[in-house]
Amino acid sequence: MNTTHLTSSNDNIICTRNLAVTKGDQVICRAPDFTVSRGERIGIIGPNGSGKSTLFRVLAQLDCEFTGECQVTVEPRERVYVHQSPYLFSGSVLDNITYGLTARSIPQTQRRKMALQRLEQMEMADFANRNVKQLSGGEQRRVAIARACVLEPKLLLLDEPLADLDPAGVHAVQKTLAGLVNSTILITAPISLPFNFVQRCIELG
Amino acid sequence: MIRDGIIDALKLLGRLDTSVIDAALRSLWISTLAVTAASLAGVAIGLLLARKPVPGRAVLVVLFRIGMSVPTVLIGLLCYAILSRRGPFGQYELLYTTWAIVIGEFFLALPIVTTWTHGAIMRLDPRVSETAYTLGARPIQRTLTYLNEARLAIVLAVLTAFARCFTELGIAMMVGGNIRGRTRTLTTATALETAQGEFARGMAMSFVLLLLAMGVTLVIAWFSRSGQESAS
Repeated sequence: MNTTHLTSSNDNIICTRNLAVTKGDQVICRAPDFTVSRGERIGIIGPNGSGKSTLFRVLAQLDCEFTGECQVTVEPRERVYVHQSPYLFSGSVLDNITYGLTARSIPQTQRRKMALQRLEQMEMADFANRNVKQLSGGEQRRVAIARACVLEPKLLLLDEPLADLDPAGVHAVQKTLAGLVNSTILITAPISLPFNFVQRCIELG
Repeated sequence: MIRDGIIDALKLLGRLDTSVIDAALRSLWISTLAVTAASLAGVAIGLLLARKPVPGRAVLVVLFRIGMSVPTVLIGLLCYAILSRRGPFGQYELLYTTWAIVIGEFFLALPIVTTWTHGAIMRLDPRVSETAYTLGARPIQRTLTYLNEARLAIVLAVLTAFARCFTELGIAMMVGGNIRGRTRTLTTATALETAQGEFARGMAMSFVLLLLAMGVTLVIAWFSRSGQESAS
């Protein structure tokens, strides 16, 4: 069975049952049955290879075959997934932050204003016009998170967002995420998160 | 003989000999027109083959690859067959006009641009399409993103196609006819002048070809270097 589909019956925006992803003969992700309500902040924890990224690919509808049930009631355009190693498009930091806003047909002046606000929140206001190739790994990750957060998506999937970040970077990400009051946020982490942000954790074997 | 030829050639170039300049300008606009049209079509076809499940895609990709190594005289011969009076497009009387050379060079440039664009899009990091999708980009924005991320390889393909068209002889000779003041290009003029014993004039034409080939090579090298620097 392969049933990611939309329902709108209650406040649960994610509901999985017997969800598993196999590659060849090997099960690369077996998730416990879980539900996520609107506005919840969930940590997905588990050791390397437990299938955290694969679970996110299923939830983000990124060409991932699975068995079991996975119901996500959020429209694909309202789900934003930030990869474990995020990809930044060629160009400036500002070009990247405004990318999703352009897709939503937001006027240019407003796009710029929203992007700069989010960069300031991420403590990267001085980086707006810098080429993304000149950024460090941690800075690139913060730009990718800001690029996702500026869209204020209904479902935000952050795959190990704190890897490579120094304490200041962790603080900036925490501050930015705290500003997303209407978003449901799922964060993966190997063991636990270094800040008290998530309400509960789901553990993958 | 070569030394005298070089000196005479420099004199001809120095006083802007009209036959040399005429052939150079004609070669330039024919190649520019052919490569522009081939680039528009080739980039679109390359993108389509890389991103969409086109029926017979694998066969088409192989055919375009083969097309890169087809001799120019063969392209010229095929163009001659379709443009000659008894050919399917004979009624348009394009044979022995510059348009015939443009058409031939279009088919010379098309496989180069198509194959390189296809390869460049296929080699893109899979996160490019996933990131564009998850940020809600519409198909047209996603397409522009792919082209932007692969722009270096595409520019190199266009430059390579231009260099190939500008320096080719077979097509211009077969369907252009080397008519003075009408279809004579740098390569056909070089061949003719040398055959007629006008070695200096042939040398002068070759110099212009060489200068342009070197110019294009330098631009390609610059693009390759800047691409490597931005990737590192």
